[in-house]
This record gives sequence, structure tokens and C-alpha cells, in this order.
Amino acid sequence: MGPLFVNEIITQGTDFLFAFLIGIGFGFVLESSGFSSSRRLAGVFYGYDTLVLKVFFTAALTSMLGLLFLSLFGWVDLSSVYVNPTFLYSAIFGGVVMGAGFILGGFCPGTSLCGAVIGKIDAMVFIVGLFIGIIIFAEGYPLWEEFYKAMPLGSPKLNEVIGISQGVLALIFVLVALSLFWVGEWVEKKFPAEKY
Amino acid sequence: MNKLREINPLLLLAMFLIPLALVIAAVPENTTKPYKLTVEQLLSELTVGSQYFSSDDIADLIVKKDPSIQLIDVRSESDFKKYHLPGAINIPLTDVLYNENEEVLNQDVKTNVFYSNGTVDANQAWLICTQLGYKNNYVLQGGLNYWAESIISPKKPGDVAPNDEFAKYDYRKAMSSALGGGSLEAQSAAPAQSGGSVPVIQKKAKKKKGGGGC
Repeated sequence: MGPLFVNEIITQGTDFLFAFLIGIGFGFVLESSGFSSSRRLAGVFYGYDTLVLKVFFTAALTSMLGLLFLSLFGWVDLSSVYVNPTFLYSAIFGGVVMGAGFILGGFCPGTSLCGAVIGKIDAMVFIVGLFIGIIIFAEGYPLWEEFYKAMPLGSPKLNEVIGISQGVLALIFVLVALSLFWVGEWVEKKFPAEKY
Repeated sequence: MNKLREINPLLLLAMFLIPLALVIAAVPENTTKPYKLTVEQLLSELTVGSQYFSSDDIADLIVKKDPSIQLIDVRSESDFKKYHLPGAINIPLTDVLYNENEEVLNQDVKTNVFYSNGTVDANQAWLICTQLGYKNNYVLQGGLNYWAESIISPKKPGDVAPNDEFAKYDYRKAMSSALGGGSLEAQSAAPAQSGGSVPVIQKKAKKKKGGGGC
């Protein structure tokens, strides 16, 4: 039955409508959990606030378990769920750039928009920087095309690479995430932030 | 409810997630191949008959040695050895689900055309493949029986038959001789310009892929 769009149960227009509604929900949750504050994101790096880690990891766990259960019931065909292909070097480099941007700017692309709509000037500046980055990447594409496309791995799945079933990997992932949360709370106590 | 609030939220999360993850880890993966068409879609495909290739079209494609066409004989191996269409391969109906046949059946480069003596077996193979979501599978209309009737030894139409009946007859006669059947009476109609309509290969819209991002 699912994915709805791939199996042509819904049209592209309806798909966009769902994306729009989910986007609004996503933005609302980001704002209401305080993600529009740049201190929150930078806090993950300095150790005084691990809320970002918890929210995004919980989202990942929820969607992981949700998809696995839907697949178990035969409601979603996991083989037709799109997985972004992996280009190893650009993935590593992109991760480093994005992480550094997190610490420096205090926003990730989504939260910068959240911050901008509630009138945060630093978020607006961040968005300007984001577009400058996009333009540099797009205009200079021939220069880094080779590096960008180096080491294409297709869409490997972690459980296939290490040779365990996806259910067992999910269990390990849940346990790792929960212990990370626990460690995070311990770190928060260890490096308390001055009130903001 | 107040009791619930007193519990550490991390513990609460663990109480939900760990049992769910345990269930997922314990059950085997769902590897069933889902059927792709609903009953209504299947019925409409069947009533329109869009899975059929006519014997005239196939004869034309064989004569032209069209590389995009793959004839698949779904009869038994012994029948296949006795007689089969030029260029056909043999996948008996019972072997359709074998893994080694999947790369022939599940691809989007060639146009597969199933045939059997009648149309029943070929249609069954087509039905299974279509339901598995395999593309580009078709059926030879009328099967080998109609093939023999129409291409190998076409009947001359009566004297009062309309002109296009004669054209069809000449065309089939030419095809028949090109394929090495029948006699060589109808030399007049050269196969190259007999106007055999090349069937429009109906490609279904490829599945769309959605992108993603943060």
C-alpha cells in the first residue's frame, strides 16, 4: 500500500499538501521546543543543553520503529522508500561543515527559518549566509564535482554492512540512543549554563 | 496521570521504546513481495486487453529482428524443444518464480512477450509478473494456435472480402515466408514495406522517487 506517492495512490499535488502540513507541524514543534534559540544548538557542543540531541534522536527512533512496524504489517514497502545515495567523502566533509556551522551560527537550516519568522536577526543573517553558501556551491560546481561524487556507495544499509537483521540493529540503536540521553543529562549537570 | 508525571521522562521514553524495539528485533523481516495492482486495476487491464500483442505485430518484430523484444515460451521444456518461435527462450510456467528467471522478467529494457499454445498459461505468467510489479510483460494474443492459423498458414479470404482482408492476407503470407513457413506464393508483397504497424510499446510511467532532506 505505501509509500502512497510511489504507488500512485495519491497524486503529486496531494503529496505536496501532506509535505506542507507536516512542514508546518515540524516548524511548530521546533519553535515550541525552543529550537529558535541559537544558544540551544550551540549548547550541544558546549555540553550545557542536550535538548537538540534528544529531540532529533527521538524523532529518528520514532520514525525508525514506525517504518519497521508498518513494514511488518505490510503497509509500507520499504524497498520503494527513497534512500539518499551515499557519497562517502562528501558526506564526511558535509558533516564537518554543517557541524562547524551549527556551533558558529547557532542554527541548522530548519531552525534558522524558525528563528527568522519570530524576528531573530541572527537567524536572518544565518539565512543570508546559507544562500551565499548555496550560490558558491552551485556556481563553483565544476570545481568540486569530482570530490562531490567521489566514493559512491549507492544506498547501503548499516545492518547489511555489518550483517545483522534490521530489527536487531533497531534495538541496538534504541539502546545506544537512550544511553546517549542519559549521558547527556549527566553532562548537562556537569556543565551547567548560566541562565538565559 | 500525576503518577506518570513523577517518573523521569527518560525512563518513560525507555519504557515505550525498548519493548517496541524488542518486538521488532524478535520478529523476522517482512520479505513478502507485495502485489501491486488492486482488483479493479487488474480487471480493467484485463477487459481492455492492453497486455496483448497481436500475432501480426510479433511476426513483424521477429522478421525485423527487433532486439527490444524477448519472446518467452511458458510451455514445458519438451514442447519447447519440438517447436518454438525464433529467438524465444523457455521459462515454463512452473518456473516463473525461480530467482534465476527474475532478471529476465523484472527489467525495463526489453519487452517480454509470453506465449503458450492457447493464451491461458501465458496470461497466468503475465498475471503473476504484473502483480509482482514487473514491467514490460505482454502476451501473444491467441497463442501458438492462432499463430499457426494466421501466420504459418493464413487462409485466403473469399473473393468478396473487403480489400484490407486481402492486404492482411498478403502481409501474413509474406511474414510466413520470411519466417520459413507456408509456400512462397505471395512474393508480390515485400515484407520490408508491408506496412506492418510496429506496436507502440506501452511504457508505464516509471515509479516516481521522492527526495528528502533536513
